Amino acid sequence: MAPNHPDTEQFRAQVAALQCALDGGDAAAFRRAFDQLCEQMHVELLAELKHVTASAQSALARFSADARLDALAGQDVPDARKRLTHVVNLTDEAAHRTLDLVENSGPLVDEASRGAAQLLETWASNPPRDALATSSWVVRAVAFLERTRTDTDVLRANMSGLLMAQGYQDITGQIIRSVIGLVDELERILGKLVEIADGNEVTGVVRALPTPADWEQGLGPQVEGIAVSDAVAGQDDIDALLSQMGGGQ
Amino acid sequence: MSNTMKFLVVDDFSTMRRIVKNLLQELGYNDITEADDGNSALPLLKSGSFDFLITDWNMPGMAGLDLLKAVRADEKLAKMPVLMLTAEAKREQIIEAAQAGVSGYVIKPFTAVTLKEKIDKILASRAAA
Repeated sequence: MAPNHPDTEQFRAQVAALQCALDGGDAAAFRRAFDQLCEQMHVELLAELKHVTASAQSALARFSADARLDALAGQDVPDARKRLTHVVNLTDEAAHRTLDLVENSGPLVDEASRGAAQLLETWASNPPRDALATSSWVVRAVAFLERTRTDTDVLRANMSGLLMAQGYQDITGQIIRSVIGLVDELERILGKLVEIADGNEVTGVVRALPTPADWEQGLGPQVEGIAVSDAVAGQDDIDALLSQMGGGQ
Repeated sequence: MSNTMKFLVVDDFSTMRRIVKNLLQELGYNDITEADDGNSALPLLKSGSFDFLITDWNMPGMAGLDLLKAVRADEKLAKMPVLMLTAEAKREQIIEAAQAGVSGYVIKPFTAVTLKEKIDKILASRAAA
């Protein structure tokens, strides 16, 4: 025990009481003083034991958190990066597949529209007056219908392709959910480590506000639940803001 | 001008470039070049005779805002119409873009009608100037 320990004076008094009782041959007083001394030692021991136990618990918790954090950093986070890259690739492929099908369908629709318009125009402006002329128009009409039937088969197949291209959402949804689970676990473990280090419970994280340097490079799309202060509500809001500034829209 | 105009569409996502390209073609503009960020767009702008620039904001390399500033700082390009087509929605950003001389600002996700309206409006104001 250090000489300046707050209990030193108390112990000194207890030892003096013991000495006094011994010198005076007072067995009862000696016993009382001895009991007080033992009680004092017991309290000290208990406090020390509590402290050691808490430290051991904290060390165990830290070890467990550190070990899981190591696993997360070494395996799960790199895996998550690969999974998210896969999501980007899948969405990219699906978008391109969709655009391919739309671009392939556009000319077919245009052709059907143009062919029908031409036939109707011929009929309206110059109605066939005899069997030969009618027959010629009918031949063109039949050719148009045959072409249109083939084209609509292609359109139907393209629509089916568009439908199938949306299948990426199932896979990407599952991958993103698993990464959300990983982020949740990381947050819990990091919170636990901060709690062990500080001895305080972590109840929330204060988000740093974006600086002009951040937003000049771009903050990315607005996401529900992650409020970027001072964001516009939509195109109308932007138009109004630019109008107020007297600029273009 | 009109459908003989040369457009440069700058976006880091090729799908978005394709979407914008398709919409422009539907509007009758067929001369469209693509670039994936400001760094690749700027040399194209300086060497080509583009009439209209449509750019995203958030791109790796040179961001759209820096591209806009570079365009306005270049004597030959300074008057080019620049439409920002972006998901960036912070008021300070829109004000900054306006102060840097953006001609129009369309927020993503956008509609074909909005894009057409903004392009028409920019071209009308250029024609009136």
